[in-house]
Parts: sequence; C-alpha cells; structure tokens
Amino acid sequence: MQRQNMSKADFVTSIFLLLFSLAIIALSLRMPRFESVGASPYSAPGIVPGLLGVVLALLSLILLIRSIIRSGYKLNLNVRVVRAYFQEASTKRFFLTLGLCLFYAVFLVGKISYFIATVLYIFVFIATFEWPKRDRQQVLKKAMPTAVAEAVFLSAAVSMAFRYLFLVKLP
Amino acid sequence: MFQGLLQFYNALLMFLTPKVLFDVLWSTQLGIIVGMMPGLTATMGVALMTTLTYKMAPENAIIILICMYIGAIYGGSRSAILLNIPGTPANAATAVDGHPLARQGKAGMAIGIATTGSFFGSIIGMILLALFTPLIGNFALNFGSFEFFWLSIFGIVICGNLTSPKDPLKGWIAGFLGLFIATIGMEGMHAYRRFCFGSVELSGGISLIPAMVGIFGFAEILTIMRQPEMEVIQSKITRVIPRLKDITRYWKTILRSGVIGTFVGAIPGVGEDIAAWVSYDFASRSSKEKEKFGKGSIEGLIAAETGNNACVAGAMIPVLSLAIPGSAPAAVLLAAMFIHGVRPGPLIMVEFPDFIYQVVAMVLLATTAMLVLGLSMVRFLVKVLTIPRERLMPFVFVLCVIGSYALAARLFDVWVMVAFGILGYYMRIMDYPVAPTVLGIILGDILDKNLRRGLILTDGNLIPFFTRPISLILCLLILFTIVSRMSWFRRLVKSVNSQLSLCLAKLRQKAGI
Repeated sequence: MQRQNMSKADFVTSIFLLLFSLAIIALSLRMPRFESVGASPYSAPGIVPGLLGVVLALLSLILLIRSIIRSGYKLNLNVRVVRAYFQEASTKRFFLTLGLCLFYAVFLVGKISYFIATVLYIFVFIATFEWPKRDRQQVLKKAMPTAVAEAVFLSAAVSMAFRYLFLVKLP
Repeated sequence: MFQGLLQFYNALLMFLTPKVLFDVLWSTQLGIIVGMMPGLTATMGVALMTTLTYKMAPENAIIILICMYIGAIYGGSRSAILLNIPGTPANAATAVDGHPLARQGKAGMAIGIATTGSFFGSIIGMILLALFTPLIGNFALNFGSFEFFWLSIFGIVICGNLTSPKDPLKGWIAGFLGLFIATIGMEGMHAYRRFCFGSVELSGGISLIPAMVGIFGFAEILTIMRQPEMEVIQSKITRVIPRLKDITRYWKTILRSGVIGTFVGAIPGVGEDIAAWVSYDFASRSSKEKEKFGKGSIEGLIAAETGNNACVAGAMIPVLSLAIPGSAPAAVLLAAMFIHGVRPGPLIMVEFPDFIYQVVAMVLLATTAMLVLGLSMVRFLVKVLTIPRERLMPFVFVLCVIGSYALAARLFDVWVMVAFGILGYYMRIMDYPVAPTVLGIILGDILDKNLRRGLILTDGNLIPFFTRPISLILCLLILFTIVSRMSWFRRLVKSVNSQLSLCLAKLRQKAGI
C-alpha cells in the first residue's frame, strides 16, 4: 500500500482500535472482583484485560495522532474511487475466493454430506477461476472433466483419511 | 556433558526403526514440497500436519512435525532460486543471489549449495540447541511470577520490534491484540467467563491451532488468489551435488551464519526470514567479494540458507526451556507438544529430562533426510511448481477446514479459522505482522496468571516487579527496545557519537598520535 493510502488506512484502523480498547476497558471494569467470597482483590479477572485495554488504547492513540500528522484524515472517498477499487481484477479475485470459501465453510460444511460439500466446493472453485482463462471448447473438453475428477478424488481421499485413518466423525 | 551425550545416543537409537525412518523420509519430502510451493508456508505446513498427527504417539507426531518444519524452510529455496519467488518468507534472502545463479545457467549448482548450506546451518543449530537448552532450562528454574510476567511482555515487544522493522508500533499493537485474544474464555482463578457474551463455545477460549491455521493458511490463500498469476520459468538443471571447494572456501561464513541464525531463532517470535537477512547482511559486510552480492554470489546464498535453517533449531531453544516460541512454526510445535502431553518450560529438566535430547536426535534425523532428499529427485520435484493455484488452493482450504474441525470435532473451530483468516489477511494488507499476534495468544495465559499471582504475593505492591535482578534486567531490556526505535533517541545517540569522536580526535591531536 502507498504511504498516503496507508495513512488513511491507519486513521480508520486507529479509530476502530481505540473504540475497541475502550470497550475492553469498560467490560473489564464491570467484571466481578470476588471480594465478597474472600478472594484477593488482585486476583480479579478484569485486571489483565483491563491493563491490556489501556496499553492498546495508548498505542492506538499514538497511531491516530501519527496518521493525522500525515494527513490520513483526508480520506477523499468518492464513488469513482470505490468503483475503481471494485473493478480491479485483483479485488474481484479476492472477493470471489472469499465468497466461495465462506460459503463452503459456513453454509455447506455441517449442513450437507461432507463428501458432496467438498466435491461441490472444489469443482466450483476450479471452474470459476479457469473459465475466463481458456476458450469455451477447451474448458468443456479438458478443464471441466479434469476439475470434476480432481474434486471427486480429493474429496474422497480427504473424507476417507479423516473418517477411517484419523477416526474423526465428519461434519 | 557425557550424560547428555548418552541421552542423545539413546534417543537416536530409539528412533532408528524402519517405521520412524519411513516417517522421517515422507514428512521431510512433504515439507520440501510445501516449502517450495509459493503460498504454502512452513507454519501452515506444521499447523496442518499437527491436525493430521494428533492421534499418533507423541514422539512419532513430533518427529513428523520437526521434519515438516526443517523440510519446508529448506524447500522454499527451490522456488526462490528457480522462480525468484521465495517459497516461504524465510527464503527471501536466498532469492537475491540464488536466482541470478539460476539465470546464469547454474540452477543445479545453486540448489546444491543451498542444500549444503541448510544442512550445515541445521547441524550448527542442533549443536547449540543441545548445549544451551539445558543451561537456559536450569537458569529458568529461578524464574518466579515477576520474571515470567516481564518475559511475556519482552517477547511481545521484541517480536513486534523485529517482525515489523519499518513500523514497530504496528508490531506492538498486533502483539497486545494477541495477548487480549488469549484472555477470552474461562479464566483459571475464579472460572469466570471473560468476553463470552453468553456463548458456550467461546467460554473454552480461542484454540491456538484453528487460529493459526486461519492466520497462516486461509489468509495466505486469500493473498495468493489476489495476486496476479506468476509465470513459471523453465530452468535447466544440471549437476546438483556441489563441489567441495565451493563449501570449504566459505567455512567462516557457514559458521558465522549458523551461530547468527541460531541466536536470532532463540529470540521470541523472530523467525527464519530475519535470521536469513541478518546472516546475509553480516556475510556481505565481511566478504572479500562484496561486488558479487546480489549478482549470484555463492557466499551470499550459503549465508542466507545457513542462517534460516540454523534458526529452526534456535527457535526450539526457548520452546523447550521457557515454553516461549522462537518463531511462528515453533509456536505451532509448542502447541502440538502440549496436545501430546509434553509440557515444555522450565520444569522440562525435571519432568521430561530425556525429551530435549530426543528433540536434538529428531533434528539430526530430519537434517540428514533433508540433505539426502534435497540432493536427489530435484528435476522431478520442480514439476510441482507448475501446478496452477486455482487447482491447489481449494485443496489447501479443504485441509484448513477439516484440520481445524478434527482437533475437537466442533464446527466452531472452523468459524474461528475463517475469522482469523480474514483478520490475518487485513493485517498483512495494512502492514501489521501476524507473528506477534500468535505469540500473544500463546503468552497471554502466562501473562495473566503470573501478573495476578505476583500481585497477590506482594499484596498489590509493584516494587518487587522492578527490584528482583532478572526482572530488572528484563524490564530494562523492554525499555531499551522501545526507546531505541524512537527518533529522538536515535538523534541523541548520533550526536553523542559525533561529540565523542570529536573529543577523541582532539585528544589524539594533543597527544600527537
């Protein structure tokens, strides 16, 4: 990331971190001290997170001040910048990967058969990224059959290894 | 000394069985493959392998993890030499001279030199591991709550400082964030559930392995898929076994880089990448052939590879003696040891006195396997580099998911892995090092227990935290590490230096020297 963009990112992150650390301090202060049961006040569960919250707040404050000195507060966010970001090929690849992985890990695994979920995920992943790289004939004749074969083989191998070798009850 | 040698000999004999040797060979080979694939790091390899070996006997599982670790750190040199893309961050310095050698048509020779350098680095690290771990372990028996509190803070500060050399502030934020994450869940003194918000799963705390698989595995997948596709350059590989004179000529560099690598490895959280760069820097400064550095210097290549592999054994010194990891893969190794019922730390010399020498024997076996495998099957294995990322990454993610799930058979760990993967990705994008966060998750429990225990012992008096000799030294080291990164301190040191040299020059003038 360029220095100017990094200052902007630091500005936003430091505000988030500052709020986060203040929340930690507030929650730590509300934790019980167990003095009523005869425990030492220094064994209170909130001492360490509270202290860590204070340190994090101080470090975030330094980051915030530094980003302001470097003009990080001039965010200059507009529709054009946001659109350009989402039109970048790398951004598209990132969100596609994230979406596919999240869908597999959160919505497929544990909901349907592990073997089928894994076959679907691997096949869709390969197909999504290989489709734009080749022409239609090549995709249909070569890439798709090998993608199906790879998906079935890997899913079966992982399922069998964990089920029968490591004795894990598959999700 | 002789007792140690005897323990080492016994441990070596124990491992010389066909089954263990077979395990050593396949896991080292797998490590080499993981290391040479850009995007698969040693940490990811060791973390995934931990999930695959947790049902094995402790010695068998740990030897496989050590082989994976050593193999992966070495394996990264292949892609660094052939593609100019380090397979793991540890091999970034290798690419500087390794790739120019490959472009000069000496790819085979460069791989051979890197293999031999890695072998010697690992052996030097192993010797220092055997010598220093019992010493530090015995010394650490004097540590009380105060010392352990400062040691955990020192680990975070030094790790943040060294893994984020451009901006240590972000390294420290990452470290303290890790310490905070460790406080989530049921605490040890009153069984109070901190930051759980009624969640039963969260009351067990954030498990280290799923968090690490996410931070180093899923985050890596996202990073790799975001980058433009790399082009695989076909290099012709000729003779791989290096000439003896190429090695003996640089014996001083090998020795120096080995010692530096081990020392850097022993610093909490500071990994192989920094060990390789520091060794490379020292070699370039003291070399008689400075002009060759960056253009295909054999000495530079040897220094980088000796340094990063020596760091592996170095990183195990604090793991065994203090239960504090020297690097990110060593952090996984530490967690794996706990999973398998081995408790590293100051009491290791009392509870598991043979274990240190067993680890030394494991390092020796893994290093020997690395040398043999590294000098053979080179041409065949290079083909692995041609596997396209869209075919490899979904498989890696499948392993990340099932690996995280398998440890406790709960889906919550899969969500932890995913959440930490996204966190790790954004941390990388914004230049926050992830190693201090992982170190923080490990050290959080030590910090929590020892700070409160210390305060209870002194009834809230903070003075003993600063007056006990080891505490005071650690406290001063922390202070120096922080202050040394501040610009006013650097300016002060500079001006004091110039004033001193001016005074010396005047004195010399007066004395007529």
